[in-house]
Amino acid sequence: MSTFRVASRARLSLALTGAIGVTVLAGFALSGTSSSAATTRGARAADATSYCGTKPGVAATGTPINLGTIDTKQAGTDFSDISSMAAAYFACVNANGGINGHPIKYDVQYDQTQPAQIAAAAKALIQTDKVVGIVGVTDILECTIDQAYWKSLGIFEIDSGIAPECWSTPNSAAVNMGPRYSSDGAVQYALEQHATKIVFDQSNVPGTGYIAAGPAAIAGAAHVPITQLTENVPVTDASSVALKEVDDAGPNGAVILNFTPPDALVILQAAQKLGIVNRVKLWGCSTPCNTDFLAKSLGPAWNHKLFVNAELTDPDGATGAEFALYRGILTKYGSAVSGGIGSFSQMGFVEAKFAVKALETIKGAYTIKSVNAAFEGIKNYKSAMLCSPWTYGNLALHIPNNVDYTTTTDNGIMVVAQGCHKISSADPQIAKYRTVAAAHGL
Amino acid sequence: MPGGIDLHPLIIGVLGLPSWLDFQPFIYTGLALGGVYALSGVGMVVLYRATGVLFLAFGAVGAMGALIAWQLINAAGLNQWLAYLICILFGGVVTLGYGIVFGRALAAREPLVKAVATLGLALILLGLMDLLWTSSGGESRSITLPTDNSGFIISQIQVTWTQVIGLACGVVMTIVTGAFLRFTKLGTAMRALANDREITATLGVPVRRVEAAAWFGCGILAGFAGVLLADLVALDATTLTFLVISSLAAALIGRLRSIVVTFVAAIVIGLVDAMITPIQSITNYRDMTPFVLAAVALLVVNRQRANSLSREGI
Repeated sequence: MSTFRVASRARLSLALTGAIGVTVLAGFALSGTSSSAATTRGARAADATSYCGTKPGVAATGTPINLGTIDTKQAGTDFSDISSMAAAYFACVNANGGINGHPIKYDVQYDQTQPAQIAAAAKALIQTDKVVGIVGVTDILECTIDQAYWKSLGIFEIDSGIAPECWSTPNSAAVNMGPRYSSDGAVQYALEQHATKIVFDQSNVPGTGYIAAGPAAIAGAAHVPITQLTENVPVTDASSVALKEVDDAGPNGAVILNFTPPDALVILQAAQKLGIVNRVKLWGCSTPCNTDFLAKSLGPAWNHKLFVNAELTDPDGATGAEFALYRGILTKYGSAVSGGIGSFSQMGFVEAKFAVKALETIKGAYTIKSVNAAFEGIKNYKSAMLCSPWTYGNLALHIPNNVDYTTTTDNGIMVVAQGCHKISSADPQIAKYRTVAAAHGL
Repeated sequence: MPGGIDLHPLIIGVLGLPSWLDFQPFIYTGLALGGVYALSGVGMVVLYRATGVLFLAFGAVGAMGALIAWQLINAAGLNQWLAYLICILFGGVVTLGYGIVFGRALAAREPLVKAVATLGLALILLGLMDLLWTSSGGESRSITLPTDNSGFIISQIQVTWTQVIGLACGVVMTIVTGAFLRFTKLGTAMRALANDREITATLGVPVRRVEAAAWFGCGILAGFAGVLLADLVALDATTLTFLVISSLAAALIGRLRSIVVTFVAAIVIGLVDAMITPIQSITNYRDMTPFVLAAVALLVVNRQRANSLSREGI
């Protein structure tokens, strides 16, 4: 092969690589122009961050308090935004006095849904990183795998639950309601709108039986028939799925979805393309659908046709000191929070806020015992992002977030359709929690 | 039959099958999906026939092109047709680039090595997409073609023009590719390459130029299928990357040679997949459709070949 041909091939390869790179980068570079307007708002919001600690502007220099978390982070399932927001909150606290002068050191372990990896991560946090508290966990299996370990150590984790054990065990309390109780809320709303049949469709993943039991109990108590469906995810034939749901629900029925936003979106869009949106009384969805990404993708054709159970207050247009602090922290410290404003970052914010408030009550050394006693002792902590005060307590199970909103799509954003509403005690787990909590005077 | 027993309702009741009326809408959704599977399958077969490479990155290339188009439309406000054109060109350029850089080195290697090498490209693109278009904040993206907004009603459902285009593209691409391979000089050269690369080269055929044309054509089809599948299925990197499995199954049923059989197999896969959906008892097993059909087809073909060989006394 001649030198000319080698050089020519190298130039062509370089040109191709360059062309691809330029195409990709052009999109991203151009995307920056649309966000320039937000910069000024962000600068104003950043001022609010001085209120996240007890000594504004004074960096904490004491011995660190080690907190840790374990999150699922893998292709297609990435919950790292929640711990990233908690880390941002802690960074803000550290820059403004810390916890009585002590900065928080936050150790994050990621896993790829492997039980052995999750168990090892828990041991690494305790034995290597010497963490004294677990805050911000959002993991598909963590509650299931580590509950016995946390119990043996006396650790009371504050988390965003996914696995059933996050709500049904003594050493875990979640700021969110999770798929079961959020689906309960969506079904409850549909029943209040007089749907005569419920079709509840969810991802075919471990734990579907546990989740399905809630909506089944709620619909059963109202004497309304319910059809339970599951779909393999990712959904590759959304048109067929949407058709099946609508056929099963009938004209006065409701279709309730429990999927992540990408899968929910393709099903809803398929229904729209097939022209079958109005062939049921209403469409509902559990919390993951409560995102402007989804509302924007659906567009005005879905205005007030999709009703989403929302575990946390919709941040769009929300005002007040706490939302100013949330936006400020996100702007100043939250560069790693890729999703920006949304329910994931809200959960991280609330978990960190409650943990910090509990840590501030500790007199003396920050040990596993003192920190977890403070966490367990959390009682009636308020957040503008939650419908009702949040309590941990020494209980056999914890469902502290059991009052929520319903939102609906409106010209590309989610707006409140129904204010704070108690999840029905027709779900036996909710009834059990309320009984246990009442017995403990909570 | 006068006086006879109509067994149809009985069969439906016993097996839990929906009525024919309930099945009909699923035929249309299955045909549309099958058409796009066919488009992808034909692209893979053409490349395989010219280069001997089973291009497993077909889905990933289309997915990345579609995500770039989404980015250009939503973040840069680019005209959507121009964005889709860039998506298609991206598919062509990336695939051609891969072919130029690695094609020669892989030419003499075993088919398995060639296929696994393209899996490497798929994984690199998948990683890049995960990095650039994250989903950690619950992001959901979609591409809505203008042809989604109109169509016609059949069996009480709207059939969009995108679905019609999906099926039509599969048909047209099969006919055009078949004619191209049969009647054009370049197509003949590709077929010759498939038979024997060395002999073809000694006959004066510009082998590398012919291969480059095959890589580029396959990439263009990947980009085109990427846009259609992003609309018809989902704009999700993982989904689109691995959706190639259905097309691959169709290509395998066509034994990586026959584009007509590949087309028919793709349509059947799409149809069966969709029509299983309303059958409650087996609906969750419908993802097995491509594997089951490919396995059955290959078993039947091998059995026929074994019978034929035994008849010839070999």
